[in-house]
Amino acid sequence: MGERVAVNPGRVDWCGDNPGIYLKDDPAGEWLSLATFFRVTYSPHGPGRAMIVVGAPDRDAGHPQAPNLCITDNRALSDYLIEGFVSKFPSFRGKVGLAAMATLALDGHETHGSLETVYSEVVTGGGVRLEMTWSQIGTPFAVEVGPENSPTGAHDMYNLFFEAKDASITVNGEALPGRAVDRQFFGRTMSTAFLALSETWVTPRT
Amino acid sequence: MPLATPIHPGTPDWSGENPGILLKEDPEGAWSAMALFFRIVYSPEGAGEALLLYEDPMRATSLPQVHNVMLSDNEPMARYLMAHFIGKLPSLGGVPAFSAVQYLALDHVETSGDARSRYSETLRAGDLKVELIWEDLGAPVALELPVHETGTKEHEGFTVLIESRKASILVNGRALPGRPVPRVQAGLQTTSAFLYFSETWIWPPAAS
Repeated sequence: MGERVAVNPGRVDWCGDNPGIYLKDDPAGEWLSLATFFRVTYSPHGPGRAMIVVGAPDRDAGHPQAPNLCITDNRALSDYLIEGFVSKFPSFRGKVGLAAMATLALDGHETHGSLETVYSEVVTGGGVRLEMTWSQIGTPFAVEVGPENSPTGAHDMYNLFFEAKDASITVNGEALPGRAVDRQFFGRTMSTAFLALSETWVTPRT
Repeated sequence: MPLATPIHPGTPDWSGENPGILLKEDPEGAWSAMALFFRIVYSPEGAGEALLLYEDPMRATSLPQVHNVMLSDNEPMARYLMAHFIGKLPSLGGVPAFSAVQYLALDHVETSGDARSRYSETLRAGDLKVELIWEDLGAPVALELPVHETGTKEHEGFTVLIESRKASILVNGRALPGRPVPRVQAGLQTTSAFLYFSETWIWPPAAS
C-alpha cells in the first residue's frame, strides 16, 4: 500500500455511475459501437442522466442519419461530460461520430436486472429507445488511479468496477454491431464491457 | 492521493450513497434524532434502498411508541448493514434505539433538489412519510479513508463528502428536534449532517 492522504486536496468534478460497452468484431480492429451511461449525483451542472451511443464511430453524422446520439435530462451536464471526459476516453478519442452526435431530451429511464445475473439501463427520448445490457458479470474490485492511469489522463478517479464478458447495445430494439473483447486496462486483461459504479473524478491540485 | 497500483487489493463490502442527518439540541448532550439513508448499488445481499430512523435514539423501544425503525425494499440487505456496518458505528450502533429497531417495508423513495444547494430524500412506508432535507451545502471533498479513519475501524473507504450546515428530519410533516453539530472526520472540520455519494467500503486484504 502506498502513502495515503485521507482528504484528497483536489477538486471534485463529478460523481455517480458510469457503465460502458465498447464493441468490436476483431480485437485488433476499430471500434464498431460505443456506448456509455451516466447517472450523476453531483456535478458543476447539477445531477442528471445521459446515455451516449456512438453506433457509427467513424461516420460524421448524427441521429437519424446515423446511430450517433445522446439522450439526457440535463443538456448542460451532458455537454460538460462529453467535452471534459468522454471525448478524452481512449475509445472515443478523435471519433467523428461523437462530435456529430444528436442530442435528444430524455423522456424515461429504467434500470433492470441485477449484478448477479443480467443488468440493463434503458432510456427513451424523441421516439428512440436505447438499451445497454451487461451479462456474465464478474466480482467487483475497487479502482483508484491518478492521472497517469485514468482514462482522461488528467484526473484522479475512484470507482467500483465490474467487468462483463457479454454485452449489447440496442437502438429501438436493433442490436449494434460488435462484441465485447479483451483489452489491457488497469494492468489487467479485461472485457470492454463494464459497470463502473460509485465513481468519482477529481482534478488534482497543482 | 490514489494508490500507486490501480486496483485496490481489498474486497469490496458494499457501495452506493449514504447521506445522513444526526441532530442534537445541545452540542454537548445526547443525540436527539438520527437518520441514515442508503441507496446501495452493490452488497452481499444485493441492491436496494434503506433508511435507518431513530426518532428517539435514547429509547430502547420502537413502534407504536416511537419510530425507531429501518425502512427498506430489501430486508436482508438492511439487516446486513445493521449487523456489519451500523452496529459498528459508535454514534448509531451505540445508542439504546439500535437494539429495538423494527423493520418496515419501504414503498417509495423520491430524490429531489441539487447537491450544490438543497437536496432531499422523501420516503413512504405505509402511513409513514419521512423527509430528509439537507441545506446550506458545502463544496464536495473526496475522502480515501484508511481503517483508523473509518467509523467501523474495520474497513477502508472511498467517498465524496458534502457537508450540510442546516438539515432537518420530518416524520409525517413534524420536524424532529435538534440541529446539526460540529464533528471532525479525517482531520476535516465538518458537521453531523452530510451527503456521502459514490461511497465504497472495502475489507482490507488482511480481513478479506
